[in-house]
Amino acid sequence: MILTALLLVIAQNPAQDPRYERLDPDTRARVVAIVDSARVVGLPSDPLIHRALEGAMKNAAGERIVAAVRRLAGDLGTARDALGSNATPAELEAGVAALRAGATPATLTRLRDLRKPPITMALAVLADLVASGVPADSAAAAVLVLAPTARDADLVEFRRAVERDIALGAPPDAATSVRLGATSMGLDATARNARPGKP
Amino acid sequence: MFERQDEEDIVERVIRELRRPASIDRALDARVMSEIARPETGLVARRPFARVWPWLAAAAVLTAVVIARPWSRGTRPDAFQFVLVAPQAASVALVGDFNDWDPTRAPMHAARGGLWATVIPLPPGRYRYAFLVNGVEWRADPGAPAAGDDEFGTPSSVVTVAGRGS
Amino acid sequence: MGIEIVEAGDAELVRRIRAGDIGAYAALVARYRVRLGRYALHMIGDREDAEEALQDAFVRAYRSLARCDDPERFGAWLYGILVNRCRTTGARVARRRRLFVRDENAINGATHPDQSDRVEWADVVGRALARLAPEYREAFLLKHVEDLEYEEIADLTGTGVSALKMRVKRAREQLQRFLKEAEHV
Repeated sequence: MILTALLLVIAQNPAQDPRYERLDPDTRARVVAIVDSARVVGLPSDPLIHRALEGAMKNAAGERIVAAVRRLAGDLGTARDALGSNATPAELEAGVAALRAGATPATLTRLRDLRKPPITMALAVLADLVASGVPADSAAAAVLVLAPTARDADLVEFRRAVERDIALGAPPDAATSVRLGATSMGLDATARNARPGKP
Repeated sequence: MFERQDEEDIVERVIRELRRPASIDRALDARVMSEIARPETGLVARRPFARVWPWLAAAAVLTAVVIARPWSRGTRPDAFQFVLVAPQAASVALVGDFNDWDPTRAPMHAARGGLWATVIPLPPGRYRYAFLVNGVEWRADPGAPAAGDDEFGTPSSVVTVAGRGS
Repeated sequence: MGIEIVEAGDAELVRRIRAGDIGAYAALVARYRVRLGRYALHMIGDREDAEEALQDAFVRAYRSLARCDDPERFGAWLYGILVNRCRTTGARVARRRRLFVRDENAINGATHPDQSDRVEWADVVGRALARLAPEYREAFLLKHVEDLEYEEIADLTGTGVSALKMRVKRAREQLQRFLKEAEHV
């Protein structure tokens, strides 16, 4: 019982997290403060700690690490506002990626309304498409079209097809719209086949 | 045209001919390895390990104690393969959110043809990661989406693991 | 000699792969490439298709490694996968080749050029082999070229031993006939 309570204290006290030891004392104190504040408002701390550790591992200056963690905390908050308090940490992280890729908070909210949770993959595919060169509004529009019916695997396959086309020289926008047509037709056919008797 | 004896031997001559070693393109090895290692990154369809290998799944659950955070929602991690082609490298480590950016936790194994590979279990989530070559050089995964926000001056990649039932 | 089941280290390599070291699979691929490649080449006849079948068999084997119950018999198990893979490729290639021959005949007037003087022995053998029915070719290659026991072949192909013996016998007779024809042309 005492052990459980002790473990609970350690688990809930970010400053005790041994991972912080990899940050220099000054950076550590400032990161702990940000993580602490984030926890108070119910945001996940792991993404923040991971970002700090990434910076430390990559020998970034303390100032840069703190700025990155602070910015991420802010974006996690924006994502949570858009996705709602039931969003999982994975959804929030993917939401941040989508926001940073250029999706609007309204798009995130719409996606949440259209798709059965978890919507991590849909958000991730949106962000990944933008990273491949697809304009943010095209990527958002495509994912919103697919969101209601596509499985996660369909979304990943869609993203890959677009990436392949881009790698072969297709303009990202064109690749997205052509693949979107094919993917949604496939989904329609699947839906029709699942309901025999309907045209 | 054939002597009687030749008729007896002709099938044996065929067999001798057929038993000669075949010359098969050695590049086939690399093709096989790149096919089996084709980034499971971002992939939701093909995850052979955790589903079919009970002992690895058991190991994955143990590892999950270390790497899965409270948000793993009790789901069992699937195993993912990460591969980098780096023929000149002396060492390659896989570092990312899933191992707290600790290069000692996921050293990669050298395979033939300059391939480096490792397999790790990942619970659902979105992870940033990169390869650390020779302990100094950062490389993104050419087979995975770019992380985009490279605030620390070197590129990272991302892998997204879908949740169950989705 | 049978299937080289106990080539040292197969079980150890399989164990390492299962523990996550996929690099260890490269050693198995290198170990079996030539021998399995020979079978695929003879069975399919076309190099490109044979290498594709071989590559696919290696990939399939890796992906279903969990179902390899006896890692010491990895080689035998791998053979089984390749034999199956060659059957499907064989059927596809045969269809394509028939189409091709027909087209070529249409263009060239179905000539039968006398090639016996300039065709290498290997080509003669290859052509004779290609004329065998696939199930005869399969049984003949596994028995006489790959040197498997009938019981092992029965395991791999799902065909009974007596049927296999019959196929091998027919294959030998037909090869003899085809080669005589080739020599006489």
